[in-house]
Amino acid sequence: MMNNDSLDPRVNRLHLSDAAAPVIVNDGENWNIYEVFHQEKRGAHHEHVGCVHAPSPQLALVFAKEQFGRRKKCVNIWVVRSADIPAFEVEDEDMFANNADKTYRDASGFKVMEKINKYKAQQRGEK
Amino acid sequence: MQAAITYLLTKMADDALILGHRNSEWTGLGPIMEEDIAFSSMAQDKIGHALGLYSILHEQYGTPDPDKYAFLREEKDFRCCHLVELPNRAYDFSLMRHFLFDHADALRYEYMAQSSLESLRPFAKKLKGEIKYHTLHANAWLTQLSRAGEDSYGRMQAALDECLPLALGMFEQSSFDTELMEAGIYPGEEKMQAAWLERIYPLLVKCALNMPVPAEPVNGGRHGFHTEHLGPLLDEMGAVFRLDPAANW
Amino acid sequence: MPVDYRRQLIRLIEQHAHSEVMGALPEGTWITRAPGFKRKLALIAKVQDEVGHGQLLYNAAETLGKRREAMINDLLSGKSKYSNVFNYPAETWADVTVIGFLIDAAAIVNQVANAKGSYGPYCRALDRICYEESFHLKQGHDAFIELATGTNMQRQMLQEALNRWWQPIMHFFGPPDKTSVHGEKLMQWKVKMASNDDMRNQFPDAYVPKIWELGMTLPDAALQKNEAGRWQYTDPDWNLFFKVINGEGPCNAERMKVRKWAEESGRWVRTALMSHTAADMLPVA
Repeated sequence: MMNNDSLDPRVNRLHLSDAAAPVIVNDGENWNIYEVFHQEKRGAHHEHVGCVHAPSPQLALVFAKEQFGRRKKCVNIWVVRSADIPAFEVEDEDMFANNADKTYRDASGFKVMEKINKYKAQQRGEK
Repeated sequence: MQAAITYLLTKMADDALILGHRNSEWTGLGPIMEEDIAFSSMAQDKIGHALGLYSILHEQYGTPDPDKYAFLREEKDFRCCHLVELPNRAYDFSLMRHFLFDHADALRYEYMAQSSLESLRPFAKKLKGEIKYHTLHANAWLTQLSRAGEDSYGRMQAALDECLPLALGMFEQSSFDTELMEAGIYPGEEKMQAAWLERIYPLLVKCALNMPVPAEPVNGGRHGFHTEHLGPLLDEMGAVFRLDPAANW
Repeated sequence: MPVDYRRQLIRLIEQHAHSEVMGALPEGTWITRAPGFKRKLALIAKVQDEVGHGQLLYNAAETLGKRREAMINDLLSGKSKYSNVFNYPAETWADVTVIGFLIDAAAIVNQVANAKGSYGPYCRALDRICYEESFHLKQGHDAFIELATGTNMQRQMLQEALNRWWQPIMHFFGPPDKTSVHGEKLMQWKVKMASNDDMRNQFPDAYVPKIWELGMTLPDAALQKNEAGRWQYTDPDWNLFFKVINGEGPCNAERMKVRKWAEESGRWVRTALMSHTAADMLPVA
């Protein structure tokens, strides 16, 4: 049994090196990143809740289940590699800018009652 | 019959408590954060299973309350197998132990869900999903690490060689077995071991891992004979509780 | 996004993530000895959450372009800091209850404020973290009360732990505003939403009465609320604070050794399953 003079008996069982010993984690050692979507009940949307680092889709699901499904209600999880999600660039946001102006796509752009009321008022005037 | 049931539930609970305790030693120190979280959840589950069984024992079979039963009992009265007692060492050992144990655990609870002992059935059914996740997790790791190059494969094979004889000790028989079998409470360890081998064998084949032959079971735990590691573990686990067992903590 | 804003955000979020990961160590000290099932389960779940928080925060920082491996390396080399408070030892079980109650309470003061900040991914991580911290605080308070209302031995244990932790808690909110290097800029950018001194004042208001009502004391004779409603206290020893930041705290070396052990012992697992196409990946935001 080791003894590192720690107050933690778990730590006293480890073979520790010097605190100054260099330890470097290589690029890629934390694997791929998967985006995680959870579903609160069957039939509901899967909503984005965060990501996990995993070496495969299978382990991504295993990890996501505990990191994002261990407390609140959750019935299913999707994972997808971040790199497989195509998205627009931030500077392309201007393509969406005029959406709100295009009222012909919106119910509010058609003033049906106004026209009916105008017609009715006209009819009354003629009588 | 009371003694036989107490023996059965105590051995299951002791296995779960000691393995959960060992696995919780990885919390905060795991190989990567995501796995740290997953493994920690399963350690909690195991300790929770022990608590559930100790509670049934306390309420229906007159053992002391779960805290006292777990934190004050003497080593010789523990019924856990040697597999769960060994210190953690490297992650390969912990994963292999988890794989071998959890498949046996899954089977035990599957039988419990149909046991003639009514008080056990709802408890066993409640744990079904939890244990399903444990075996899913174990299978995923085992298949991936066994196929991830020579070093990793070698580690998993060495871990299997070391763990299998210990794992066979899970099925150590006792004089209570016949009584439990005849009452339809538990199918007996011989049958359990056969079912377990049938379940893990195809998975090991998928991993190209070889069963060590011959593997003699490491027995003793079910009769109160333990490794030199259990005593210190129990002393550590009870260190604060035993400062004043009458106090509330 | 302005370069400096991005850089400061990464620095702040990364330090927060490191603090969660290192914070798992002092409390982990008592995982194998927690007294009774309820405490044992709650402590494992709590330390697990700290790791989970680290995971969420590293992800938030990664959306700004720095990979998790690089952040871990900066932690291990000492280039990037973590909260000083985790360089103190948890000497007894009572220390765990004080950490769970008061350090988590202090963290909530800080995190609730920052959750209203300007960077969405960080705020989302903080929302989830605050939700879980409220469990930490509650379980810590519960274990704290159990000792405070327990036997003489338990009360003494708790009092000694309070005496040990009071100064590190006052340090927790960071150096005084007048000496804080990054504070003003971070507040201007709405990254940091409350100043160090404001938070240090807010904390006693909520928690000192909860300590006093149980007949426990705090090791500062000057501690009291003045007529204007501001708390007065003895200024903590800031020289000590800077000494601990620079590596001279009682547990700096041990924490680093243990963290390095964890990275080294897990390396074979990570390397075995490493993909050679992973190197340039970042999460989407």
